Amino acid sequence: MNDIIVAILRSGTPLIYVTMAGVVAQRAGIWNLGLEGLMIIGACTAIVGIVLTGSFALAMLIAIILCVLASVLLWFVIEKLKANPIIAGLGLTGLGLGGTSLAVQAIFGSQAAVTAPFGVPKLGPAFGPFGVLSIFVLAMPFAVFAMWVLLRRTRFGLRLAASGEHPFAARSVGANPSRMRLAALIIGGVLCAIGGAELAAGSLQIYAQNMTAGRGFMAFAAVIFGAAHPIGSAFAALFFSVVGALGIRAQLLFGDAVPHDLLLALPYIATVFGVWLSGKLRGGRKAATGFAELRDY
Amino acid sequence: MTSNFDDRAILAAGLNRRSFIKAGASAAALAAVSGALSKVAYAADGFIALVHTQAAGDQSAVDSMIAKINQLAQEKGVQARVVYAQDPATYETIFRTLADAGASVIVSTFNEVGEPFKALAPSYPKTKWIQLFGDAIEPPLPNVVTVSYDYYLGCYLSGLFAARMTKSGKIGYIGGISIPPLNADFNALKAGALSVNPDLTVTAAFAGSFQDPAKGQEIATQMFNDGIDYIQTDSAATDGGIIAAANEGAGRMLSTLARAQYPLGPKSIVGIVSLDFGQSLYIEVGKALGAEWAGGKHVATGLGTGVVEFELSPLYAEQGPADRVAKSKEIWAEIEKTKAGILDGSIVVPFNTTL
Repeated sequence: MNDIIVAILRSGTPLIYVTMAGVVAQRAGIWNLGLEGLMIIGACTAIVGIVLTGSFALAMLIAIILCVLASVLLWFVIEKLKANPIIAGLGLTGLGLGGTSLAVQAIFGSQAAVTAPFGVPKLGPAFGPFGVLSIFVLAMPFAVFAMWVLLRRTRFGLRLAASGEHPFAARSVGANPSRMRLAALIIGGVLCAIGGAELAAGSLQIYAQNMTAGRGFMAFAAVIFGAAHPIGSAFAALFFSVVGALGIRAQLLFGDAVPHDLLLALPYIATVFGVWLSGKLRGGRKAATGFAELRDY
Repeated sequence: MTSNFDDRAILAAGLNRRSFIKAGASAAALAAVSGALSKVAYAADGFIALVHTQAAGDQSAVDSMIAKINQLAQEKGVQARVVYAQDPATYETIFRTLADAGASVIVSTFNEVGEPFKALAPSYPKTKWIQLFGDAIEPPLPNVVTVSYDYYLGCYLSGLFAARMTKSGKIGYIGGISIPPLNADFNALKAGALSVNPDLTVTAAFAGSFQDPAKGQEIATQMFNDGIDYIQTDSAATDGGIIAAANEGAGRMLSTLARAQYPLGPKSIVGIVSLDFGQSLYIEVGKALGAEWAGGKHVATGLGTGVVEFELSPLYAEQGPADRVAKSKEIWAEIEKTKAGILDGSIVVPFNTTL
């Protein structure tokens, strides 16, 4: 049983961090389809940073700075250049996937994979069978709770949500929706850096080109599924991870009888189902209002 | 945000920005095209070109091809060009550009380049086209050679080896994507294992990607937790996660793809089923640079030529568990004997591409 929990936490933790980034952006009224790009930037810079500096702390600092800069770029394109946020987000994803490949090629003369000598510090033997997990896994529930407190129990969070749900109303009480969105994207950049670093350096210590493999989009789907509620979205992300683990289990048990491709598609089928289900629920509709509101601020 | 409500200001700012972006994009495109043309023009006196469709830096197929084409260029006194074609939509354009620039040999990999080859080769009869890891082109084209590998034979030997090495009686296989050649690899691995002991279980799983080490780690961890103690990998960069999973426990054995992976798992990677694309490129392009090259044919090669081999890791021999190392040496003669049997035709391994 412990093995299963470890496996789910390993695959779920990067997704949950990135989902939180999507939640805070969604609350601020931005459909952040750049999560995939931010995640790969976090993954790449964490590993490359460790290799180049020999320091995990410095590597994380670099990852956070780059992800925040990319987030600020997204904000600038959306807010100042008035670009469509969906297209801008997809552009950021393209920039992240292509830019990391280019950067790795420029630094190492190769494009595919970089291996680091160490990764995110582990919890250690004191945590028994969970000692193989990284400190980011331990921090993850606190991050989700902190996001809930931030969005639901602080003046900043309420203004941020107001900026997303009704920018004119937020402005009438003195909030600046544009700045709130910038703050939301910066927070998201930090979270994506952690999520990407956990994916590449949590237990692997490897960066491979395009290794996010759609996880950023799954995180976005988790935001929709969870109605942009921090805890609901975190559970949605965890659900996708469980389904992914079950897909692997199904391959091992029924691979002879059922096509492997179908079993591999289970997480994505679950994602589509989750998004559809969210549309049937009040929360889903609530989360979906962000796009309409974004057009009139 | 007050400027949002000033239409003229928005219009003026928008026009300025638009003009700036357009000018910037035009300059960037011009610079890119100029750079590409200058490189092509530099090599217009006949050169050999490698177009790789997977990223370099894999410490495996692509890296070895790049190294070998550069080696060949030095040895033969010709220029070499290496181009990464990431997007299939660009393949034809890239091949056409190289042929227009006077490439004497264009070599590329995998079946997805087959159609562009078929479309372009007749228009560039002076260029020799070599497709590595591809099916035969029908009808044959006089200036095209396709090369396929019997990698599955190496997997058969790995299966036979695994059957002798496993303590649990459970063997695993992790592939990148379920495609016919990889399905054949799994079936051969299974056939090799079951030829030793029909009671063994051989389980396959696919990561759905050749570049998802996290998924590879998930699959391998589940396999090891199920008692599988020997996994054959077949998934390029996804292998990194499988190796990480193997390194987390004692007694876990892997057979992977490339010698460069040995240091990543000195106590877990027992050996490799190698497919040396670089060696194959060296052989085929070397022939194409000779006067007696003949196109219009398909070459099936691999075991016994140095291109496909099943071999043991020297690092595992030094650092692996003593009992497993001793066992591997003990059964190696049987592996060699089986290999000889395959090469002389006395042992026939079926090529089965369905799971």
